[in-house]
Amino acid sequence: MLTKPNILVVENNIAVLNKVNQLLTGRGYNVVVVETAREALDFIQKNPGGVDIMLLSLELPRLGAMPLLETLRKARSEILILAMSADCGEEAIEAMHAGAYDCIRKTFTTERFWTKMDRAIERFHLKRDLEALQRERRSLQGCGSDSMRAIFDSVADGILVTDLHGNLVFCNSKASDMLDISCDELGRPVQQFIRHKELEKLLCAARVEPVEHPKGHYEVCLLETGDKRLRIHVNPVINRDGAPIGMVALIHDVARISGMDSLKDDFIFMVSHQLKSPLSSMLMQLSVVVDGLAGELNARQKDLLAKAKEKTKGMIILVNDLLDFRRIEEGKVLQQIERLDLQEILQRTVELTAMSAEDKGITLETHVTENLPLISGDRNGIEAVFLNLINNAIKYTPGGGRVTVDIYESGQDLRIKVVDTGIGIAQSDMQRIFDKFYRIRSEMTKNIAGTGLGLSIVKKIVDLHRGTIHVESEENKGTTFIVSLPIAR
Amino acid sequence: MSKKILMVDDDVDFCAAVKLLLESRAYEVVLAHDGREGLAKARAAGPDLVILDVMMPEMNGYDVCVVLKSDPKLSHIPVILLTAVDQSIFKTAYTKEMGLMTEADDYIAKPVDSAELARRVEQLLSP
Repeated sequence: MLTKPNILVVENNIAVLNKVNQLLTGRGYNVVVVETAREALDFIQKNPGGVDIMLLSLELPRLGAMPLLETLRKARSEILILAMSADCGEEAIEAMHAGAYDCIRKTFTTERFWTKMDRAIERFHLKRDLEALQRERRSLQGCGSDSMRAIFDSVADGILVTDLHGNLVFCNSKASDMLDISCDELGRPVQQFIRHKELEKLLCAARVEPVEHPKGHYEVCLLETGDKRLRIHVNPVINRDGAPIGMVALIHDVARISGMDSLKDDFIFMVSHQLKSPLSSMLMQLSVVVDGLAGELNARQKDLLAKAKEKTKGMIILVNDLLDFRRIEEGKVLQQIERLDLQEILQRTVELTAMSAEDKGITLETHVTENLPLISGDRNGIEAVFLNLINNAIKYTPGGGRVTVDIYESGQDLRIKVVDTGIGIAQSDMQRIFDKFYRIRSEMTKNIAGTGLGLSIVKKIVDLHRGTIHVESEENKGTTFIVSLPIAR
Repeated sequence: MSKKILMVDDDVDFCAAVKLLLESRAYEVVLAHDGREGLAKARAAGPDLVILDVMMPEMNGYDVCVVLKSDPKLSHIPVILLTAVDQSIFKTAYTKEMGLMTEADDYIAKPVDSAELARRVEQLLSP
């Protein structure tokens, strides 16, 4: 709904004043009438925004209409002024030059008055709309500059934008701090001030291979600079036509999260360590009791305690695996690199595992090529690989089955192939068997003790040796693990 | 005459279980619960074998072993080091290192199966 303009009438001719007042109030306009220019000015000064349209007689005595017009044009240009004159002659032209919108003859008929008045009112509304639009536009422009800048600088993460040529186009204050970039770098190619090759490459990716980056594609890199650990997501900036116009990087300092992570790891490590001693004690106590050394046991008691003993062993394996895993993660595995003879390591592993294979009635066979070349690696790590793979093969193979270990040369690598005739691995589980703590849950595996760490330990060690591990399996037929390790030069 | 074994471990429960195990194999077992007591009993009781836990407060198993092996009157007594410090992956390096340093005669990682412990003891005591 349009608001009705407030109208001020300035007229010393009472007859004209009354007539105008009558007409305007008759249509419900809010009208104020004064008789002199001085009063008009006083009213306007005391009521800022209280006058939208002014009807001004050009025949005022003393402080006349013209000085008032001049003053208002400078100070209150928003007021629409309609001059009123006896004949609308020279003085009317002059008034309109000074800013009046139109001129009404004082000898007006009602019809003529409204023709001019309605036009003025329409003009007033148009002016209001225009002002509103301009205000709106100004505030949007403000977003583009100052307020937008303030918003981006208040974000907890760093934001950095480059154009298609890899030049820096935007960088909020957090990003400046995190990457040590000064404001002067704006417009310069990122190669000149980003010291991290990977990030630099990502930021220039829009230029290098624009087609390769569909909407939503992003890459993450991790940087460590001093006490900061930065996780950076880099996305292409896509315009409305779907074309990349640059790259935007969101930079998050994960030092605190990492700190929590290592605290959690320390805690696990500490708990594992503290558990080891009492578990050892429990195992020995249970062994002695189960063996009947603390008095005769009936079959039921013996059965229950034997189960408790097995559970205790399971817990000890978990604790050991956790401690091993921790050491691998700390990079303590590859500290002692030496030339290793895999045949010798295999032999030792077989000695350690022969007993459990025999217990289950599983045939354990090895075939090793004569004069095998050496590999270079960490003895303990490689031992752990053998031990885990062979133990697993025995564990997941039913009695009467067969476990075969082959070591042979293949190109630049030595291959260790562990084949069993066990329960196999379902296709759906294949992807996850190397994940930390992943265990296949099924009728077949529910009675097999394990921690879900063994294969992830194996994978990590193999990776650290620049090797590969490959698995093939068929359910109820068996599983084959093939580890390739580079031959030492 | 039965052979005498000195068992030194601050874990009283573990000691008690090992004592039962070894006594069932007709060994005489003397217990000590810290390094100093272990050394004192090694001198007083004249054992044929010492089983030494590594992780003990104050004087640990390595220290006790070094003292035993440097005493001409005691150095002939075989020593088995027993520890939970070991991790399966790191067994070899650790054993080698500690064996060399302390001149222990054998090394067993906790947890140890009763049968395995008995076997190792028997090995060292057989003439």
